[in-house]
Amino acid sequence: MDELSLLREMRDRTPIATDAAIDRGRTKLLQRIDPQSVKLQKNPRRRAVMRWGLASAATVLVAAVLVGGDVFGPGPLRGAATAQAAEVLNAAAETTIQTADLVPGAGQYLKIQSTNIWGSAAVAADGSEYEWLDTEKSTMYIPANREEEWVWERSGRIPTTFFDDKSKEYASSMKPAEGYVLRGNNGGFYGTPPEQSSFPSQDALAAFPRDPSALLAEIHRQTDGKGQSKDGESLVFIADLLRTGMVPADLRAALYKAAALIPGVTVTDEQATLDGRKGIAIGRVETASNRRQDIIIDPTTGLLIGEREVLTEPRGSMPAGTATTWTAIETTISDTAP
Amino acid sequence: MTTDSDLIRRSSKDPQAFAALYDKYSRAVYRYAATRAGDSVAEDVMSQTFLVAYESRDAFDHEWDDARPWLFGIATNLLRRHHRTEARRLRAFAKAAGRDSYEDGADRVAERLDAAAKSSNLAAAIRTLSTADRECLLLYAWADLTYEGIALATGVPVGTVRSRLNRARRIIRDAAGLLNIDEEEIEHGRAITPARNA
Repeated sequence: MDELSLLREMRDRTPIATDAAIDRGRTKLLQRIDPQSVKLQKNPRRRAVMRWGLASAATVLVAAVLVGGDVFGPGPLRGAATAQAAEVLNAAAETTIQTADLVPGAGQYLKIQSTNIWGSAAVAADGSEYEWLDTEKSTMYIPANREEEWVWERSGRIPTTFFDDKSKEYASSMKPAEGYVLRGNNGGFYGTPPEQSSFPSQDALAAFPRDPSALLAEIHRQTDGKGQSKDGESLVFIADLLRTGMVPADLRAALYKAAALIPGVTVTDEQATLDGRKGIAIGRVETASNRRQDIIIDPTTGLLIGEREVLTEPRGSMPAGTATTWTAIETTISDTAP
Repeated sequence: MTTDSDLIRRSSKDPQAFAALYDKYSRAVYRYAATRAGDSVAEDVMSQTFLVAYESRDAFDHEWDDARPWLFGIATNLLRRHHRTEARRLRAFAKAAGRDSYEDGADRVAERLDAAAKSSNLAAAIRTLSTADRECLLLYAWADLTYEGIALATGVPVGTVRSRLNRARRIIRDAAGLLNIDEEEIEHGRAITPARNA
């Protein structure tokens, strides 16, 4: 018997992973892949228990109410944003449609700079939890001819905000992120073929209805079955599309007007500051996940400053009111790209 | 056939595709980490490995179809934080190997004692290896990586892998008290098939 056989014998005597350990690791990965799922399953086990609790006499009533909601659909019966929020959104729509879109000339680039905050969480083997916020700076250069090469500079996610010492220690023990530059024709980064670019094409942006009700119906169609609630996911969709910085003025105006049709949307902060810029925050609280999705608009230009997601109850070491995700964007024209 | 490279590429457009990589390799990464540092560390290292891999998936070298060297490289880095646990485990293993042998039937006691002593010495010898040599050896024996895979995982040339592995194997072979006749066989085997588990 050689030393390799002896070594492999040692390995063969080690217990294999339990299904529970594999499931837990999978959940963590999926939460990292789609932070939305963190919102949905803050504590999957607790949620599961709650679901079982619901499977009682109350179930029939709950089911009936849910079906009722679906039957009525997004009509006037379901209400809309508050009058104040609708006023802000509709005014921003009127203002923004007069703001000329930046159009790069031949050889120029549309330069979209953004500061992004992402929440991070980790659970160690002993069950202790860590939370912190990462910052990522990103600059994307989109050529006038979109089929040509796009350049995307990313700083990588750098842990920047901590709420306790143990999380700071944990985050600093991780391999530090490094900045990198991505290149791809038509926004096909990471080796994605240009025709499969994940960024909205001009055709796709052109295809969205400009009528607010029709646009909201299209958003409902595209987000069907996703997110915590139909209304919440619609606002998230609008925020995600706006934060690409690629949305033309007429669609931006229509997206604001569509947001005004979403039940539960209110003015959440009249003096919101994001990345040092001031605007009005319009948002909606998702009661099931205790988080609020905001979009922040500069009322003087009707341009989007950014969007954020705010905790409405403490989570671990993070106090209520923490913006666990935010993106602030600024769009300019550049003659050169790196 | 969908390669790991394809899955990672697809994950830029459809991040959920990354979960397929997890389903494919999570158990192997867990086993490698568990053998080195025990169950409690293994679960953490395994889940962290895939989080780090996901975050750095842009850094994946698409020259390679196989994601295992990349994943085991990340796991190996993460395991460095647990070197004390690993050392404790090897010490415990060295002791346990001696005890277990007495529980067997009388007819095979001598043989078992011999094997146990070898295992015990082996575990002790692994502890004496330099970090680089130990990682190289265990990536070969416990993660089933090829020489090229280990080179990719640890970021050193294949020649360095070969010399580290030669040195590590010689040290633990001597420590385990294996006969020289094995050495001849091993040298022979290595000359013909450098990566026997390729």
